[in-house]
Amino acid sequence: MIRHLFTLVWNRRRANFLLITEMFLAFVVLFVVGSLLANYQRNYRTPLGFAYAQVWRVDLDPGTQPPAGRLATVRRVMARLRALPGVVAVGRTSSNTPFSGSFNNTDVGAGKEGKGATRASGFYVEDDLREVLQLPLVAGRWFGRRDDGAALPPAVLTRDLAEQLFPRQSPLGQVVLRSDEQFRVVGVVEQFRSDGDLEALRPALLMRVSPQDTAWGEASALLLRVRPGAGGLLERQMRTETLAIAKGWNVGITTLPKQRAAQLKEALTPLGALVLVCVFLVVNVALGLFGVLWQAINQRRAELGVRRAMGATAGGISGQVVGEVLVLTTFGLLLGLLVAVQFPLLGAFNVPAGVYFTAMAAAAAGLYALAVGCALYPSRLAAGIQPAVALREE
Amino acid sequence: MFWNYLTMAWKVLQRRKFFTFISLFGISFTLMILLVVYALYDHTVGPHTPEKRVDRLLFTSSLYLWSPQTENGGHPSYSFLEHYIRPLRTPEKVSISTGHGVAVAYVGNTKLELAQKYTDGEFWQVLDFDFLEGRPYNPQEVRAAAHVAVINESTARNYFGAARGVLGRTIVTDEVRYRVVGVVRDVPASRVFTYAEVWMPITTSTQDIHNAEYMGSCMAILLARRAADVPAIQQEFARAVRQVPPPTAVYKWCTEVRLYAGSLLATTVRERLGEDGPDDGVVWFGQAGAGLLLLFMLLPALNLVNVNVSRIRDRSSEIGVRKAFGATSGALVRQFLVENLFLTALGGALGLGLAAAALHFINTSGLVAYTQFELNGRVFLGAVVIILLFGLLSGVYPAYKMSKLQAVQALKGASNPA
Repeated sequence: MIRHLFTLVWNRRRANFLLITEMFLAFVVLFVVGSLLANYQRNYRTPLGFAYAQVWRVDLDPGTQPPAGRLATVRRVMARLRALPGVVAVGRTSSNTPFSGSFNNTDVGAGKEGKGATRASGFYVEDDLREVLQLPLVAGRWFGRRDDGAALPPAVLTRDLAEQLFPRQSPLGQVVLRSDEQFRVVGVVEQFRSDGDLEALRPALLMRVSPQDTAWGEASALLLRVRPGAGGLLERQMRTETLAIAKGWNVGITTLPKQRAAQLKEALTPLGALVLVCVFLVVNVALGLFGVLWQAINQRRAELGVRRAMGATAGGISGQVVGEVLVLTTFGLLLGLLVAVQFPLLGAFNVPAGVYFTAMAAAAAGLYALAVGCALYPSRLAAGIQPAVALREE
Repeated sequence: MFWNYLTMAWKVLQRRKFFTFISLFGISFTLMILLVVYALYDHTVGPHTPEKRVDRLLFTSSLYLWSPQTENGGHPSYSFLEHYIRPLRTPEKVSISTGHGVAVAYVGNTKLELAQKYTDGEFWQVLDFDFLEGRPYNPQEVRAAAHVAVINESTARNYFGAARGVLGRTIVTDEVRYRVVGVVRDVPASRVFTYAEVWMPITTSTQDIHNAEYMGSCMAILLARRAADVPAIQQEFARAVRQVPPPTAVYKWCTEVRLYAGSLLATTVRERLGEDGPDDGVVWFGQAGAGLLLLFMLLPALNLVNVNVSRIRDRSSEIGVRKAFGATSGALVRQFLVENLFLTALGGALGLGLAAAALHFINTSGLVAYTQFELNGRVFLGAVVIILLFGLLSGVYPAYKMSKLQAVQALKGASNPA
């Protein structure tokens, strides 16, 4: 039966060529959009590794104040902010804070020679930042006073970075090298996805800013944990108090939830537009397919009439029509799979192969559903042909 | 004759309403999407307020400190531009301003976050803002660091409660008092190099305009005397940048300072793609855009071809009669192409309406602040070109198939040419 259907489709290959091309293109469109959606969905479901709901960011721009006095001013500002009743904790960090859109990407290697170097995002943080972002440690400890006099500055790694650099051994106490600077690993966190909800998981390295450090530029942003319910009033108070201490500076205050929303909007708006375009293309293909099938049934009345007269059942006829469409779809699908399979084979776009396979399965299912949906009505039309009427028309 | 074709086309359209619907749906929605994309493009880099003389303007915004091993990208500082770009002779005027900043103002306890730009006095001479009242601040006021500001209409309404009659009143941003000297019509946020809600003299900012570091947060806009001067300005610009001494201190590894002046389109594309070389990426952008456009149109066009071929089968007896009475293949092809163009034109008109509706929706959704996307003459012209392209793309193959039909077989009702 199936071989028979293939022969039928093959015999009409000139007429079916356009339909197959259309199916092929529809599959490619579904696959591309499906890959994007599957990738985003996968990233979205991976935990961030920190809490952001009650966290605010304060940017301080010293303007014309000479560099020498800047850090002292920042410390006075931090002490004042910490004393505000709505603030729980304050810590300095490098400017690549979560959802900020700025990032760092530096090679990190194991040992003094930096063996097996891999790209990781680096963050400079003060001790208090653990409380601000509520970072859960899976091994070792967080930074503390006892690191003050250490020979090597301490660092905390994410689990994937630790496993990559020190496979099958404990990373604690090991040395890592990052742009010619050595660090002693003291702790491990599960992950730290500061790039955002939709970005891929990247290994990360947290480095300590000790109270002895006099450079300010490396950790120029402040993150604060505020009490629930803090709002515009606290923000205004913070601004006034800060400007009273840091005269002539520029102060920017924003919240992490707000930055996250802005980041999501920026990523999801083009995606939404793309999905709309994809839906339009698919509807277009569906309408076209439906029209062509309907027309084809009208033209094959004689053939179908003969089959009915020879004793074929209505179910057999409609099965034939749907079957032919499915065979057509399979041809288009196979062509499309040839293209789609190149993505995981070539490792394009740094996306795990599983995402592509999910997208392929979803696109194939979508295509078959589309084909069956479009063929149902014409197939019933075909099944309803009365042999006597059809044959009289000849 | 032509009129005959059109009447025929109209009759054919009415004969199979479902097919007509499929065709019109495909054409009009394809066109709508293309028009919306083109309107966004035109709105971002076309000649609109305040860059009305866009063919005479050059922009420079990204500075790269480059060496074969390392590279730092950012924006030039005020003093860098003042030293090396301001003295250029070929441009009529050079304006230096900061990129985007945020100024915070309070109305009672409500916070207003205002997009802020610090500029020099030339900014207002290089660009054409629509002043609703008042005037821009001039170079003398900038030199004297006068605390004066130009604000946009919406800010006037939000801060003072009235769009007019706010001249001379005081706006407090970041705890600093400014006197309003002018109110301009809202500038859309899509004009990235000129957009702001408040503009203030650069001498009143926290920027250190005397800091000799190369990296900063500024950009420059150059106005040519005529559009034909643009290449000469770019040459002088490149010469000036070549003569910049290599930076010292932390950037002593740098072997080349890279800064380029390009049109609004070139600079926007360069920023988006992060191009740091002499090639601004416009050619690549154009090719990629054309490729995507063709790919996107392929599916609806194929669909239309499919439907058209089906239609022709429907009309095989008509074609047989015409052939039997001596119509040439050429005449039939012509007739069919005209019919198809008529159909696409109809779909195009529908698409224009749909695009207008979609743009209205985007405008009211507040996706991009102050943006009023609209269909203008250029967009309309683009639409006509696309319709023609689409009509030919989807009409040629079915017309060819139709002309190959044999009269005898066509009369017998066969659908496939032997």
